[in-house]
Amino acid sequence: MAFLHLNKVEKYYGNVHAIKGIDLAIEKGEFIVFVGPSGCGKSTLLRMIAGLEEIDKGSLHLDGKDISQTHPSKRDLAMVFQSYALYPHMTVTENMSFALKLAKESSAVIKQKVNDAAEKLDLTQYLDRTPKELSGGQRQRVAIGRAIVRSPKVFLFDEPLSNLDAALRGQTRVEIAHLHRELEATSIYVTHDQVEAMTLADRVVVMQAGVIEQVGTPMELYDYPANKFVAQFIGMPSMNILPSTLFRDAPYHTTEVGIRPEHFKLIAPDQAQLTGEIEMVEALGNETLTHININDQSQQIIVRQHQRSQLKPGQKVGLQWDTPKLHYFDDQGLVIR
Amino acid sequence: MAKRISYSNILRTLFAWLIALLLFFPLLFLIITAFKTELQAIAVPSIWSFTPTFENFSEVQDRSDYANYAINSIITSSASTLLGLLMAVPAAYSMAFAPTRRTKDILMWMLSTKMMPAVGALIPIYVIFQSFGMLDTLGALTIIFTLMNLPIMVWMLYSYFKDIPFEIIEAARIDGAGLWEEFRHVLLPIGMGGIASTGLLCFVMAWNEAFWALNLGSANAGTLATMIASYSSPEGLFWAKLSAASLMAIGPIVVFGWFSQKQLVQGMTFGAVK
Repeated sequence: MAFLHLNKVEKYYGNVHAIKGIDLAIEKGEFIVFVGPSGCGKSTLLRMIAGLEEIDKGSLHLDGKDISQTHPSKRDLAMVFQSYALYPHMTVTENMSFALKLAKESSAVIKQKVNDAAEKLDLTQYLDRTPKELSGGQRQRVAIGRAIVRSPKVFLFDEPLSNLDAALRGQTRVEIAHLHRELEATSIYVTHDQVEAMTLADRVVVMQAGVIEQVGTPMELYDYPANKFVAQFIGMPSMNILPSTLFRDAPYHTTEVGIRPEHFKLIAPDQAQLTGEIEMVEALGNETLTHININDQSQQIIVRQHQRSQLKPGQKVGLQWDTPKLHYFDDQGLVIR
Repeated sequence: MAKRISYSNILRTLFAWLIALLLFFPLLFLIITAFKTELQAIAVPSIWSFTPTFENFSEVQDRSDYANYAINSIITSSASTLLGLLMAVPAAYSMAFAPTRRTKDILMWMLSTKMMPAVGALIPIYVIFQSFGMLDTLGALTIIFTLMNLPIMVWMLYSYFKDIPFEIIEAARIDGAGLWEEFRHVLLPIGMGGIASTGLLCFVMAWNEAFWALNLGSANAGTLATMIASYSSPEGLFWAKLSAASLMAIGPIVVFGWFSQKQLVQGMTFGAVK
């Protein structure tokens, strides 16, 4: 059995079936990211693992033990909350040592562990401050510190970076990745930000409406999405979806075809199977995103070029694509291989 | 830059002072009367210049055992506050952090009991205490004061606990805290302000309670409120002594309230001002 094993886990809120029978096996040391749009159940699933929400059906095993009905305090997990949830009346030291004190560790051990964690997280000079005397980024690091001093079996992160500004978010993401490599701790991380998912995860779990759409490494999800939802959710800008009628050699049953923005080539209109008119050109320096109206203006696609472009809105262009890179979807949105 | 003083501001300030004086006047009159002789006290029109006397206070002390009443007040107020907090804190905790669909209804029902006039429940409660042999005991008054204040206590604590982010409690649970540790190390220190102001308010309300104190325990278990009432007797009204007794009864709680007013105001305005 896997280190952490979810077996047909379900959750109801009244009549709402929030989690619809989830099976998932997580190996020791893995960094798993739950990603999906808001309301997809990813945070609920994390809270069920933490024991903060009851598991209505199914079971949860950690390290061979059934912990489905175990109180959160007895699960040996640590969690970093979106709001940090630091104890406002305690100093940084007290916040980080709270769990160890409850576990009746000796004060020498507590001091050692807190100092080690503070050093790792660059918090040593703030140990005597209370949370309200810290900046958002520092609070976040205290929350992480509070988790790592315990050396728990699993780390749970509930959208930990969403309250930080963009620059700090990028920096903290790198720090989390670094910590994970150093501690080799099993981690489950919830986010709606696919960049966080792609950069941090060993495996990504894409969820929608209480079910898992696909589990795989970031590159598997990018290159071989199992369905249209995953195809469009992973990748920025999203995969372009076009009607199959534009593709003469699409397999039988194909209703739609997906093409990533970078798999288009812009060519002269008279040589192309498909033409369109440029709506907008986003020059980002390292790449250019060109928005093009096709099909008599009824649909817009985005083309990514890794070079600068002289094209202007209103110009007509032709489109060419890499046929092996096409994704074919049937009427259920499932991929046809 | 000098602040501009407008006429409307002056008028508003004067008006506020007028209202404040009007509200304070009965208390002022009581304080002044307490230092008059009985003759001066009943004089019409009122005498405003006189030589103050402490005679009334010593007479009240001689005639009724002030210390005994005061001790009864202290015991019943403190005991009912403690007992009330013991019940209200867990109740408010569960309503704030583990609400069900019926929580709001229960809260409304608790509040609605405060809308019923106390006299409506007098006979059944009197009979109950009588059959338990508890009439005129400190125990009976403590119980009734507790019950009287319980809905307010639960409401106040509920709205106070509601302001504490639940994630902090959850974080404590994940850190390994059981129910007691969660309460002792997280809820109690964070919610101390609310618990203290609730306790203070209920202490004051129990101290000032007269209806139940008069009806259930005026002889042995009488509180200071019943002592005041004993000065309006069939032999006649003794205004000066009545005033002195009142001043002695409310004195301690006014001083107490003065020192804890910061807590009290906080307790009455949180939730209202977010």
